[in-house]
Amino acid sequence: MSLLAPVGLLALVALPVILLFYFLKVRRPEARVASLLFWRPFVADRQANAPWQRLRGSLLLALQLLAALALALALIRPGLSGAIGNGGTTVVLLDGSASMQATDVSPSRFAAAVARARTHAHQLGPGQQMAIVLLGQHAELLTPPTTDPSVLDGALDRARPTGSQVDLGEGISLANAVLSGRSGATIILIGDGHAKAPPSPPRVGARFLYEPVGGNGENVGIEAITRTQAGTVFIRVANYGRTERDLKVELLADARLTDVLPVHVAGNATTDISWTGLVAGTQVVQARLTPGDALAIDDFAYLVTGSPPTRRVLLVTDENGFLQRALKLRSGVDLTVQKKADYKPGAPYDLYVFDGWVPAGKLPDPAFVIAPLDGTGPVPLGAQIAPGLVLPGSPSDPILQDVRLRDVHVQTAGRVSVPPGWRTAIAAVDNPLLLVHEGEPRIALLTFDVHHSDLPLRAAFPILVQNLLAHLLPGGFENQVYPTGRTVILATEPSARSLEVQSPGGGVVRLAPPFPAAPFTATQVPGVYTVRQQLEGGVRVSQFVVRFEDQELSRIAVGSAPFVELTPGTASAPPRGTLEIWPWLAALALALLATEWFVFHRGP
Amino acid sequence: MLSPTELNLLSRLDLAYRRPVSGLYAGERRSPRAARSPEFADFRPYVAGDDFRQIDWRAYARLEKLMLRLYVAEEESSLNIVLDASASMEVGSPPKWPAARRLAAALAFLGLSSMDRVAVGVLGDRRRRTQHLRGKDGVARIWAFLDAVIPGGTAGPGMLTDLDWPRPGMTVVISDFLTAESWAGAAAGLRKRRQEPLLWQLLAPDEENPTLSGDWKLVEVESAQEREVTITPALVAEYLENLARHRAGIRKAAEGAGGRMIASLSSQELEEQMLTGMNSGVIRR
Repeated sequence: MSLLAPVGLLALVALPVILLFYFLKVRRPEARVASLLFWRPFVADRQANAPWQRLRGSLLLALQLLAALALALALIRPGLSGAIGNGGTTVVLLDGSASMQATDVSPSRFAAAVARARTHAHQLGPGQQMAIVLLGQHAELLTPPTTDPSVLDGALDRARPTGSQVDLGEGISLANAVLSGRSGATIILIGDGHAKAPPSPPRVGARFLYEPVGGNGENVGIEAITRTQAGTVFIRVANYGRTERDLKVELLADARLTDVLPVHVAGNATTDISWTGLVAGTQVVQARLTPGDALAIDDFAYLVTGSPPTRRVLLVTDENGFLQRALKLRSGVDLTVQKKADYKPGAPYDLYVFDGWVPAGKLPDPAFVIAPLDGTGPVPLGAQIAPGLVLPGSPSDPILQDVRLRDVHVQTAGRVSVPPGWRTAIAAVDNPLLLVHEGEPRIALLTFDVHHSDLPLRAAFPILVQNLLAHLLPGGFENQVYPTGRTVILATEPSARSLEVQSPGGGVVRLAPPFPAAPFTATQVPGVYTVRQQLEGGVRVSQFVVRFEDQELSRIAVGSAPFVELTPGTASAPPRGTLEIWPWLAALALALLATEWFVFHRGP
Repeated sequence: MLSPTELNLLSRLDLAYRRPVSGLYAGERRSPRAARSPEFADFRPYVAGDDFRQIDWRAYARLEKLMLRLYVAEEESSLNIVLDASASMEVGSPPKWPAARRLAAALAFLGLSSMDRVAVGVLGDRRRRTQHLRGKDGVARIWAFLDAVIPGGTAGPGMLTDLDWPRPGMTVVISDFLTAESWAGAAAGLRKRRQEPLLWQLLAPDEENPTLSGDWKLVEVESAQEREVTITPALVAEYLENLARHRAGIRKAAEGAGGRMIASLSSQELEEQMLTGMNSGVIRR
C-alpha cells in the first residue's frame, strides 16, 4: 500500500471537527405544545449542560465519521502494490483509424480513447512511466516514457485521428522499441479493433491489453461512385449495420446542389442508384448522404468528371508493348512512340521515356530511362548482375504506393552505385533497381530491362508506371482521385515559381519553393484540394480529389483484440504496479452520505 | 359571543338525542312514555283497562282486532355542556379556547331554543358551573358565564364524573382530549348517571397536521415538561399514527357508553362546526 497524495491527510481534520459539532449542544428553538403525548423522543433527551454535553452514541454520527474518513482516504489516493494494475512502464497505443472518428460514443471514439489514456496518465503511481504512441498514417511516438501527467496531457492534446487505415504492427514495433530493456511493462491498445494487424501475429515484449472503444456499428456510407462514357453516374450505397435505412443522396455539381435522390438500404446490403443529370462541363460531382450517421467520413464521395490536361509523352523504344499499355492507361496522355533512329533532339514533350537507349548529349527532362546500354544513361550502368530479392527502398516512398514487390523477380540488372542526389526506390540486396533523382531535373532510372523480369506481368507494373508518371509529368496530379491518407506528388510546371495547396477546410499549405515541391501528405480529409501554381506568365489553378474508400473502416462494429505473440517470459511475469482505490473509497463515501440522509429523514 | 348571522343559522338547527329522554316538564324532546301528541309512534293490541278512546277504529275495520294508536310524548330534556378550560386549550394556531367557547355557546343556544334544561360547567372545577337554565332567557346568563372563564391549570377524564348531573340527558364534553389517561371510565360514569355522552374533540390545525421540522425543544404547557426532538417526516408520520390511535380510543370510549365522538378544528367557522355535527348526526335541521 502506498499513498500517492499524502497531503490529503489534512482532510482527516474533518473527523475531530464533526466530533466537535456533536459535543456542542444544539440550541433548539422552543415550541409550546398542548401535549408531548404523541412526540416520541427521536433525539435522546439531553440534560442541559450548555454549551457542552456528553457525547452519546449516534448512528448519524457514526455514518458521518465514516463518510468523512472514506473521503479523506480517497483524497490521499492509496494504491495497492503488487501483481495488479499496470506495469512500471506503460505504452498506450492510440488507434487513429478513420473509424475512430465515429460518433457512436460521445463525443467520438477517438475522444473517448484519449479520455481513457488520460485516465491512465493520471493514475500513474510513484515510479511508473507512460508513453503514448499514435497509430496514424505512421506510428508516431507522441511522448517518450514519462512520469509527468501534464506532459502526457499535452501529448494527448496533439493527437488526431487519420482518415485512413493505420498499421498496428508498426505501432507495436515502436512500442517494443520504447520498452526495450524495461521489465514488467504493459502495452495498452485503445481503439475499435480496426488497426490493420500484420499477417502474422507481431511479437510483443510486454503484457498486452486491449481496451475497446465503440458502439453498435450502425453505419451507412457511399461505397463507390463512378460514371459511364454516356455520362450516367452510378452510386453504390452500403449499409454496414443491421437496421434498414431510408436516406437521401444529395448530388452537388461543382459544389452546387443539383439533385436529391431517395434511397432505401436494407441491413447489411447495398443499393445502387444512377443519376443522369450530369451537366457537361462539370469538373467534380459530390454525392452526400443525408441525414448523416455515426461515421461522417464515408457519407461523402467525389467523382472527377473533368478531364486531366493533355500531356505529350514520347516513348523511344524498339518494342515494349507492356510499357505502351501502361503509359496509355493514364487519361490525358498523348503518347508518341518512336524508334531510336527516329528520335530528334529538341522536340517538345512533357515527358521522355527512353527504353534500352538514351540519346547522346544532354538528357531531356523530365525523363524515365529504362535499362540503357552499359556505360550510358544519367547514371552509367555497369555489368549485368543477378540482383536476387527485390525490395522497396523505403516503404513510405510515394512512388511505391500500392506497389507490391513480393512476387517480382528480376533476372539481370545493370550494376550501379547510387550517386549523390539520387534515392533508391526499388533495390536488390546490394544493387539499386529503380533510382529517382531528388529535385530537378526529374529523372527516374530503371536498371533492368522489363523483359528480363516478371514485373510487367504483375499488377504492380501499371501502378508503378502511374506513380512514376505522377512524379515525372508536370501537373500529374490534376483531376486525379486519391484515397485518404495518400501522399500526393505535386510535379510542378517547368515555369512554376511557387505552389500552394488549399485543403477542403480552407487551410493553405505552401509547398514550393524550394523545388521540387515536397510531397503533400495532409490528405486525411476527403474533398476537393485546390492547387495554385504561380507561373511566369500567370497563375495555374488545378485540383485533385481525396476520397475515402475503405470499406473495412466503414464497418465500424468494434473488432476483437488483435492476436499478438508474447515473447517468452512475458506472460509468466505478471507486472507489478499500483492499483488506485480512491474511486471505490469515493463511492463508499457517497453511499455512506446517502445512508446518512436516509437515516435522518426516514430513520428511527 | 355569536353574531346575528350565526344565531339565524342556529335557529334552524336542533340537537339530535340518540335516546328518548324523560323530563319533568313538557318539552320538545321524544319521551320514552307514549302519550297523545301529533306524532304517531306505533300500534299495540288493546288490553283490558286501556283507554278505549285511543282505539283505532279504522284498524279494527281492516284487521277486526282492537288496536291502540301510540304517540310520541314530547317532553323537555337536560343538556349538560362541560368545557375543558385547561391551559392546553390556549395552545395552537389558532388557539382552541375561543373556538371551544363559541361552540359551547352555540350548543347551549340550540338546547335552550328547544326548551331543554341547559347547564354549562368547567372540567376540573365543580364550583364553576351554571344552574340548569330553561328558555332563551338563559342564553345571556350562559354566555356571560362563558365570557368569565379564563383557561388555566390542568384537566383530565377523572374530573368529568366530579360534576353531578341530577337529570338524565346529554352531556357534551368539549376538549382536546390530549391526556394520557383513558376516557373510557369517564364516559361509562356518564352513562351510569343516565347521560348520553358526546365527546367533541377540538384540535388546532397544527396539532392535526404538525408543520414543524428540524430541531426543536417542545414544551408541554400544562406540565412544563420539555422534550428535544428532531422532527423528521418519519417522526411526523409516527405522530399522526399516535393521534389516530388516541382518537380511536376516545371514539371507542364514547360509543361504549352509548354516546358519540366528534372531531373538528379550531380554524373552522361555527357554520363548519355545525356541519361537522350534522354529518355526525348530533345536530339536525
